[in-house]
Amino acid sequence: MDLKVPKFEKPKLPKITVTRKQALTAAGTAVFVVLIALVGGMLLLDYTGDRQVATFGSHVAASEADLSLVSGKVSSLMRSSSDDLSVAECDAYMREFAAVADYGMRVTAYHRQIVGADRVPEAYAGAQSAYIRALDNLNRAFSLWSSAAAAYDAEAYTAAKENLARADQAWKEYTAAIEDYDRELRIAEEGGWAPPA
Amino acid sequence: MERKDFLPVLAGGLVILVVALVVKPALLGEPIGLVSSGSVPVHNPPVYVPPAPVPTATPFPDDGAAYTRNFRWTAIDGGVQTTQVRVPEALFLAHRAAPQIADPLAWGRYAIADADRPFLEDLARRIAPPAGNPEEDYFRLMNLVFFVQQIPYEPDNSTGSYIEGAIPRYAVRQGVEAGYSKSPVEMLVDGRGDCEDAAILMAGLLDALGYDTVLFRYPEHMALGIRMNEFNPYYARYTPKYFAYEGKHYYYIEGTNYTTIPTGNSTFVGKPFPIGDAGGTGIPGVTSGTPEIIPLRYIPTPNEYRIRPARLPAGGA
Repeated sequence: MDLKVPKFEKPKLPKITVTRKQALTAAGTAVFVVLIALVGGMLLLDYTGDRQVATFGSHVAASEADLSLVSGKVSSLMRSSSDDLSVAECDAYMREFAAVADYGMRVTAYHRQIVGADRVPEAYAGAQSAYIRALDNLNRAFSLWSSAAAAYDAEAYTAAKENLARADQAWKEYTAAIEDYDRELRIAEEGGWAPPA
Repeated sequence: MERKDFLPVLAGGLVILVVALVVKPALLGEPIGLVSSGSVPVHNPPVYVPPAPVPTATPFPDDGAAYTRNFRWTAIDGGVQTTQVRVPEALFLAHRAAPQIADPLAWGRYAIADADRPFLEDLARRIAPPAGNPEEDYFRLMNLVFFVQQIPYEPDNSTGSYIEGAIPRYAVRQGVEAGYSKSPVEMLVDGRGDCEDAAILMAGLLDALGYDTVLFRYPEHMALGIRMNEFNPYYARYTPKYFAYEGKHYYYIEGTNYTTIPTGNSTFVGKPFPIGDAGGTGIPGVTSGTPEIIPLRYIPTPNEYRIRPARLPAGGA
């Protein structure tokens, strides 16, 4: 067979003529669009961060409001005299103690779930983590109170005493976590280093 | 501008929306779309649920079958006293049918059991009638102490310690030994008991008169502690022994081991144990040891219970 390579023809591209004015306008427009995108992006990020902190703050506020109610119940119980009570009155006191412990457990578990799900800016991550740790320790302390009340109900006073000793330790860890939270929050708000509490 | 000129602008806008709503959330693990991040289903916050009231126990009837016991003892003035105790049979049987409290720290419940209280108050008033003169309080106290000390001693594993002539079914058995803590009315009906039974009865009687008492538990013995600010009488030939508990001083009182001394002509003089005399028991662990202190009313109380308010983030609610 006699094969022939077809002749390649150079394509004809349309001729574009750009004036100097058009080029400058296009470049200026591009720079303007990029600037707008940058500023807009920064504003959006800033707005998102503020909104996240506000949400976190409102959740901490709700948690603190409920914890103050728990605190009121605890203080009221601790203020009531336990001297010269009959066995029935001692038992009633411990049933009240168990109810307060259960209330504290439910409140701390509820707010831990909400605060734990919050998305916060990186600067607030330490404060959020410390607050969650505080709620976890408080929940553990109330859980041990509940165990102590159950042991008392079973007339196992030594076990009740041991549970309360462990609850005291968990409560101290809660206090330490709240101090960490305050410090972390100060660091986040001041945007830098803060001395240890 | 023509219609075709808008197409690149719309395409650009679409790309931005896809990046913002799909690509970025997918990369950061956020929910895709217009869902706000960080939200969880919020239900109503928990509320306080008070404990359910417990119905008051029905008191045991006074007019039913009852055990009557007569006691004779030497009072602090040397005079012989007698008294009669009547305990409803139903109350006694209820105690016998109740499982033992395994934890000794809870044995104070025996001494201040609500069901026993009316009988102990009545008996305490008869042994130590209220006196107009506060100086007689010491004699009232000692009369109660002497009354209990003179109830015959009988160990737990002796069938003679129980009116049924058999060791109760809820006694705690360890090999050939049996342990059984009697409530005050059981001790009164049986008319005998061991050291812990005596200490529990004495604690119940003194508590009924308003004295602050605890139980002293040693490895081989149990006695009573009575709260006194200071007890150091000039006539005592011993150093009164006390132990501190929650900042208060509790002086040792023996509940058993009342010994009689023959004086000829078949008359006997009692030798009671005075307050603070721990050495007279002759039990080494009591003479030199430190007891576990069991309060009659034990309410487990935490040391840490203050909730600290946390500072709110600026911008928070």
